[in-house]
Amino acid sequence: MVMSTFISLGLHVSLIIFAYYGLPSFKVKEPIELPIDIVEDTPISSKTSLKLGDTKVKEIKKNKKTIKVENIKKAPPPPPLPSAKIIEKKNLELKKKNEIKEIAELVKKKPKLKIKKEKKIVLPKVVNKPEKIKKKQKENLAKGILNTLIKPEQIIKNSKKQKNKNNSKEMLKKIKKIAGNSYRQVQQTDLNLSQTDINKIENHVRKFFNVSYAASELRMVITLKISANLDGTVKRVQIIDETLYAKNKFYRATADAARRAVLDSSPLPLPKGKEKLFENIEFDFNPSSIFSY
Amino acid sequence: MGYFLKSYLHFFAFKVLILFYPFLISNVFADDLRIKINSGQVEPLPLAIADFTGEEGKANEIGRQIAEVISNNLVGSGQFKSVESAAFIAPPTSPSVRPNFTDWTPLGIKALITGSVKSINEQQIEVEFRLWDIIAETDLIGLRLSVDSQAWRRVAHIISDEIFERLSGDSGYFDTRIVYVAESGPQNKRLKRLAIMDQDGENHQYLTDGSFLVLTPRFSPTTQEITYLAYFKNEPRVYIFNLETGEQELLGSFPGMTFAPRFSPFGDKIIMSLAEKGVTDIYTMNLNNQEVIRLTNSPSIDTSPSFSPNGKKIIFNSDRGGSQQIYIMDANGRNVKRISFGKGRYATPVWAPKGELIAFTKMLKNKFYIGIMSPDGSGERLLAKGYLVEGPTWAPNGRVLMYFKQQAPIDDGKSSSVNLYKIDITGFRETRIITPSDGSDPAWSPLIPN
Repeated sequence: MVMSTFISLGLHVSLIIFAYYGLPSFKVKEPIELPIDIVEDTPISSKTSLKLGDTKVKEIKKNKKTIKVENIKKAPPPPPLPSAKIIEKKNLELKKKNEIKEIAELVKKKPKLKIKKEKKIVLPKVVNKPEKIKKKQKENLAKGILNTLIKPEQIIKNSKKQKNKNNSKEMLKKIKKIAGNSYRQVQQTDLNLSQTDINKIENHVRKFFNVSYAASELRMVITLKISANLDGTVKRVQIIDETLYAKNKFYRATADAARRAVLDSSPLPLPKGKEKLFENIEFDFNPSSIFSY
Repeated sequence: MGYFLKSYLHFFAFKVLILFYPFLISNVFADDLRIKINSGQVEPLPLAIADFTGEEGKANEIGRQIAEVISNNLVGSGQFKSVESAAFIAPPTSPSVRPNFTDWTPLGIKALITGSVKSINEQQIEVEFRLWDIIAETDLIGLRLSVDSQAWRRVAHIISDEIFERLSGDSGYFDTRIVYVAESGPQNKRLKRLAIMDQDGENHQYLTDGSFLVLTPRFSPTTQEITYLAYFKNEPRVYIFNLETGEQELLGSFPGMTFAPRFSPFGDKIIMSLAEKGVTDIYTMNLNNQEVIRLTNSPSIDTSPSFSPNGKKIIFNSDRGGSQQIYIMDANGRNVKRISFGKGRYATPVWAPKGELIAFTKMLKNKFYIGIMSPDGSGERLLAKGYLVEGPTWAPNGRVLMYFKQQAPIDDGKSSSVNLYKIDITGFRETRIITPSDGSDPAWSPLIPN
């Protein structure tokens, strides 16, 4: 028991380490430091030397200091002192207000009344005798009860399934979010080209693949990387093997023919709902099987 | 406690796996989607060949003629078709100006050739051309050539070769010449002269005056010499004609009749047949030290020898098995093996420049055929048929064959005409080469060195 726990612990620790450092860290190669060959040391003077005759004197315009005279607003004059009549009036008003307040406070203070709570009268229960129920009625009743009991069970089960489904969807969404760049590839698991889809595109493109009989000399496949828009129009065509394109004249001529074929066949008959797959797709042109004379 | 820890760790491990799930998935589906195109069309590519523009009248005229020759060459190869210049929306002005591709796409054109001619001085011209890919909207090749204005036709052939190579991948064959036997006069007094011309029939020239009969001329690898059979003073002998000097030289002195000569791939030897005392065998003669080596020794007729491109094998025809068939042997005459087993008789085998095919003449049921087969005798295909078709010769790229064809004789006693024809190895396009008189026994030169 103890042994197995330790083994399990060891395995899990290794998993944690693996998770911490991650897969990509194994792929990343450390950059190789290349020694720099010094061809020539060029002394650089501290001052930039100007060519003779180029000594243009830049006219530096002195900025005139402008002092802004801000207009300060004058303070308002103090209000005139109140007269003796007005003071008397105000005192009277204050007195009146105070009297009204005192009256109002007296009105608010009401005497509290003590009320005794009485117990409710309990009426005696009238018990009715149950009626005799027939057998069939009993069965029906039982069935009804059973149905009512089963239905909620099914609903519960369904709701559980739904919950599980939702959970898995959420999980997939989380995975997709985490995957980041690999989102597209994850999506490909949902979408795959059928043989009919492939045949349709192949039949469409091959009509435009016009090659010379010299292409029979080429015993290799030409791969083109193609990017198509959602409407099937070809956005970009790239000949993958650039080295062979530069070196082999048969490859070059046939690759050009293949490129023309793809561009000429635009827009491609993309299968509905799978247009996204054609954002990045490769076409393998094999001219060796064309000739059968 | 232990149980709790264990269950927690299991849960944690599950979480880690979930975290790494996308990476695993991405590795499984790392390969991009692929669609395989294993078939296509082998049809003539539509081209637009615009007249090469020039600054003044003469340059303009040369430019127009160059465009015409290029068009004839490319269309004549069967691999291209040219769109009439009248259909052009906006003819290009200069090869250095990027054309407006949208003007050309509605015409269904896939490639456009533009060029210019400029007079450097009274004798020299500068020809510039550019090949454009209309669909990819890019230029494929551009070249500038300075030549004598008299040699504009050759410039046109060189440009044709460049375009042919860039678009098909194969070497061109337009800057080449044909040597053949020009025939004229009645059947009982036939005049046969050596003649030379460009592969398109232009620049025709007679090399001999017809005072003696000539047969089977063959080019040297340098294209400067021709070996042939001449009945000089009624004695059939093998001669070498130097095209630069115009001198003719008898190849050795043999007791019997020498014929069917052909240069070795490196031009240092001549292989031929020597008939002596009713026996015909194959010999080689070293041109440097005049050494003669007998390669076959049989009581039958061994003739029409031809070296393989690497010089290691020789094919020839022989009746040693009872009927005329094709045999193969090592360059030293050993390991003789029959390779033709079809019905009828086989003659004049010629090894293709790339070595993958052998052209031959076949005779079956009073009909003549031109055919090809692999050096092991497999894959025999007959390309041309006629009352008399004979003497196949390969274009330097090994894609086209030339031969001569004679029509059935007419009852009025006059001989029927003999003409030169060419056909590509697909066997679909047979074209007659126009010559001033009848022609037979053609030999195609290698590409002329620049």
